[in-house]
Amino acid sequence: MATTYRRTPTKAELRRQRMEELINFPLDWVEERSGLVGGVRYFLFRNVPSDINWMQTLGSAALTAFLVQAITGVILAMYYDPSASTDPHTGKPVAWESIVNITDHLTMGWLVRGMHKWGASVFIILMFLHMGRVFLFGAYKYPRELNWIIGVLILVMGMMEGFTGYLLPWDQTAYWASVVGINLNGTAPFLGPWLAQFLRGGQEISGETLTRFYSLHMLVIPGAIIALITLHLYLVIRLGVTSPPWSKDAAGMEPEEAEADGRRAGLTRPVPRPAGASAMQAEPGGRE
Amino acid sequence: MAAIPKEKPSRTDEARAEFARYKADVKARGKPFYPYAMFHDTIMSVFVVVVIVSLAVIWKWTAFGPHHDPLHKGLLGGEVAQPADPGTTSFVPRPDWYFYFLFYLLRIFKWPESVFLGTIGIPTIALVLLIMLPFLDRRRVRRPSARPVAMVAAVLTIISMGVLTWKGATAKEALASEIKQDIPNWVKAEHLPPGALPGARLFASAGCTNCHTYNGAGGSQLGAPDLTAIGTRNLGVPTQIRHLQNPGSVTPGSPMPSFASLGPQRLRQLAVFLEASKGGK
Ligand code: HEC
Ligand code: HEM
Repeated sequence: MATTYRRTPTKAELRRQRMEELINFPLDWVEERSGLVGGVRYFLFRNVPSDINWMQTLGSAALTAFLVQAITGVILAMYYDPSASTDPHTGKPVAWESIVNITDHLTMGWLVRGMHKWGASVFIILMFLHMGRVFLFGAYKYPRELNWIIGVLILVMGMMEGFTGYLLPWDQTAYWASVVGINLNGTAPFLGPWLAQFLRGGQEISGETLTRFYSLHMLVIPGAIIALITLHLYLVIRLGVTSPPWSKDAAGMEPEEAEADGRRAGLTRPVPRPAGASAMQAEPGGRE
Repeated sequence: MAAIPKEKPSRTDEARAEFARYKADVKARGKPFYPYAMFHDTIMSVFVVVVIVSLAVIWKWTAFGPHHDPLHKGLLGGEVAQPADPGTTSFVPRPDWYFYFLFYLLRIFKWPESVFLGTIGIPTIALVLLIMLPFLDRRRVRRPSARPVAMVAAVLTIISMGVLTWKGATAKEALASEIKQDIPNWVKAEHLPPGALPGARLFASAGCTNCHTYNGAGGSQLGAPDLTAIGTRNLGVPTQIRHLQNPGSVTPGSPMPSFASLGPQRLRQLAVFLEASKGGK
């Protein structure tokens, strides 16, 4: 970042220059070795359509809900004990007791568990709302088909996360809902009985089932979801998000379509379009 | 080989051209993600976290904050239910709310002819359709007003999911104490011998009526059959016991849970009661 001076730089200028270099050093170091800084800069300063609206925040809202689940989940995992065996002192199952302990005795434990428990519902709702917005916008069409499919897979994984997490408190509602849920899986042809057997870890739902659900719930499924979200966001950044389809100024609108619309004829679309106009340049022609 | 000139651009060509236009438009006339879009995203995310924290606080302070009783229920339910007990005598098989619609499907499709439709069939078809959506709807137009079929399908889907969830949420499981008061009526209607009475009491209290109906009592869940006249099929006490111990061994793939934990004596009483239930004939 050396600035060239026509005259000899003053002491103050030299000091400032050295400070700048010092401050930028870590970023420059990382950039030189990875290109990551450029990546982040691209992510932040890439253009999005100027007419995007509030409904398009639902995807990042779902991401936030997922992050809440991940963080609170990690904390819960530090205190939760996935064991169905009976505590000899109290006669209660260990898993159930550890949940009660987290909620009643751990400092802020109720908050962490409460956020995880209710965050799960919020996450599911946000995924459905986000999917609804993508459907409404027709945003699953070319070239975003693949991202729609990835989205559906995330939705399925999210619901499986709910199913496996529900058993972990090892209380009556959880236990019997899982008994029935697993049996229902078992009615599927071919794979069904095998799947039920695998989930239970035997003929009956037991402590074995609990550890299996725990491992699925905190390792396997979250891992899959994180991988899928990464792919999802990669495609969102690569392909860009769609304009609201009813927008008078939707990006990608056909020129004839645009001209047919009297309100914007001659107003917004410079023909021919300026090739490679700078990202930060002001929008042409009297809009907003 | 030279490309054959086309009369009209294909649908794929048009889609590609539209996307190229989109990219050029965004580049020329879009606005940078930071700070514009990110600003809205941040507000929305903060709102989401606030909602989650509020739910947790409401849950705590109405349920167990002031009471310190883990089983006390507040506005959003209790802290936990009783510890899991495979040998229980009454339970409510109820999943988290976002599975209610699946659970309720099973009340519509009764065992055994069509239960497969409710458990796996319809959900699988729905999922495949959802995944295939971009290939089923290949027109380029995105305006909702120009996609009547898609919009009507979406509204119907939302309504049916909503109704199923609502029905699942409000479906009442009969309480064991209420069912027990019905036993004298069963004796009259079914001409039950005194030997079948212990079994009848067990049947009323062991949670069978959560899934099965009997003489109009109980709720039908998961497509479980009505047992009013189960005795007319003369399955025999040993088969009944075997089914109760391990339903899957008699009816492969049965979603009915095992009741082996009741112990041989009580299973026999249940089986005797079932065999004595001839539907009053
Ligand atoms: C979770 C729901 C559920 C509960 C609880 C339940 N069942 Fe069932 N039951 C079913 C389903 C579903 C079927 C149909 C599949 C089958 O035959 O196994 C069934 C079938 C039966 C049958 C008919 C078997 C046949 O061959 O037609 C009998 C008898 C029966 N149950 C008795 C009982 C008794 C007694 C209890 C209580 C101890 C009980 N069930 C509890 C769901 C349940
Ligand atoms: C964990 C769950 C999910 C996360 C974190 C997530 C995240 C995002 C984000 C941040 C965007 C950018 C635009 C926006 O916010 O609307 C987006 C776009 C998109 N999402 Fe998701 N999403 C999730 C689930 C889903 C689901 C369930 C579907 C559909 C089945 C889906 C399909 C799409 C599609 C097709 C786009 C492109 C939309 C466009 O270009 O306008 N996503 N997603």
